[in-house]
Amino acid sequence: MSPGFPPSGRSGDRRRAGLGHPADDGRPGAFEKASGFLLVDLDRFQGPLDLLLHLIRQQDIDIFDIPIATITDQFLAAVGQIQAGDLDGAGEFLEMAATLIRIKAQMLLPRHDEEEEEDPRAELVRRLLEYEQIREISSRLSRAEAERARRFPKGYLEFRPRGFVEDTPLESTWEEVLDAAGGMDLTHPRSRPHRITTGQVALEEKIQLILDAMEASARVEFSKLLAPWKSKMHGVITLLAGLELSRQRALTLRQARLFSELWLLRGDLEEWARSRAELVNGGLAAALREPQLDAWDSVGEDPVAAGPDPHPETPESDEEGGA
Amino acid sequence: MKVSQIVEGVLFASDAPLKAEEIARADESLDEDLVEEAIRELRSLYDESGRAFQVVELGEGYQILTRPELAPYLERFDTVPRLPRLSGPALETLAIIAYRQPIGRIEIEYIRGVGAAGVIRTLQDRGLVEVAGRSEGLGRPLLYRTTRRFLEHFGFASLEDLPRPDELPILLRERASLEELLGESPDHDRLP
Repeated sequence: MSPGFPPSGRSGDRRRAGLGHPADDGRPGAFEKASGFLLVDLDRFQGPLDLLLHLIRQQDIDIFDIPIATITDQFLAAVGQIQAGDLDGAGEFLEMAATLIRIKAQMLLPRHDEEEEEDPRAELVRRLLEYEQIREISSRLSRAEAERARRFPKGYLEFRPRGFVEDTPLESTWEEVLDAAGGMDLTHPRSRPHRITTGQVALEEKIQLILDAMEASARVEFSKLLAPWKSKMHGVITLLAGLELSRQRALTLRQARLFSELWLLRGDLEEWARSRAELVNGGLAAALREPQLDAWDSVGEDPVAAGPDPHPETPESDEEGGA
Repeated sequence: MKVSQIVEGVLFASDAPLKAEEIARADESLDEDLVEEAIRELRSLYDESGRAFQVVELGEGYQILTRPELAPYLERFDTVPRLPRLSGPALETLAIIAYRQPIGRIEIEYIRGVGAAGVIRTLQDRGLVEVAGRSEGLGRPLLYRTTRRFLEHFGFASLEDLPRPDELPILLRERASLEELLGESPDHDRLP
């Protein structure tokens, strides 16, 4: 582009990258003279730092010794082309222009103590270097993205839909709302003593829970049985119920290794139901409750030996336990 | 049923990466170590027999994906899903969040020199970043972090796969706290 090229605004015919040309013909000095006529397509730049970096790198300027007056003029020339109706995003460029002018003014002031006072350009240089690095990282991300896009999954991979709550622009996060609600101290309008004692977690209840689960699936994860409850007591009683049912041969307990998931494998429930029916007259509750202590002891001694199967690694052992 | 067959079946039937511990839920005889061993087995099996797909580690899990060399053939089909590519501003914002997480909007805007609210919103909508909590600083601004989906999108197994600072041509600036950035007198001592 020649310096005399008339500014054509942001029309379709605009010449892009006008600022790059002085560097291209190796005469950075010519740049300043031409700056009044330079065209810059600000849409090409992702912000004032991008534009500044472009000016500096195109002219091979030492970033640690930026000729601030020259750069400020060039920057202002570019920003001056923002048209009145095109103020979207102009604020950021104007803010940077103000920063540059302030730095330029500070550079003109005599410095009293070279040791103490930092270079007025210091923070700007730091930001430019950091932004340059972010650009390098994002181009690496872009390459990784392109490489990843060359691999295809078996089927269509949908975006995971976001819930309604997240879609609402909230000042507070949902967790915070819940926390606040949970922490509220509600005072009763009138004092009416109403004592509620938490019921004991019933072993029978947990036995039924396990039996229901076993009916639906031949294999149940112990942790799934606990999912609806938070209290430890539920865990303890559910474990006791599992141990009890295992003792009665209604199911087998299986664990691949210490602290891994505990699985409950269905045994012969029909056989178990028959023997159970015989017990009803003799007192079912007693039959169920009595063995608690035994079960507790075995837990204390060796939690791994919960199931009767001595070969926990064998996968095809569904049948042996319950039969 | 062999362990590797179970693992292969689970991977085949899934449309997103699965963690080893998630795959292990398929059977009570499985655990993470066995699953990982089976995955190694499947990988060498696929390689030796020249399968068109591989077990790829990404997004903290494993997924069966086609080999990259097949891309030119698959891209001819409209029915093959294409991952939407991100814009420049989105990539820059993601790069900042990925390296500085958890990070607030003000700090992101300071680094890029432009407003970030809209881009962050888009990244949130696409499930690439999420709110990590709130800063202790003035106004308790929201802090953002990248998600598992971010790792999936770029084919990273974990954040460890991001380029390390020493691989980068420019030295990474030490992380500045939000307070420092918002403060009136920034610390200039670290200028190189």
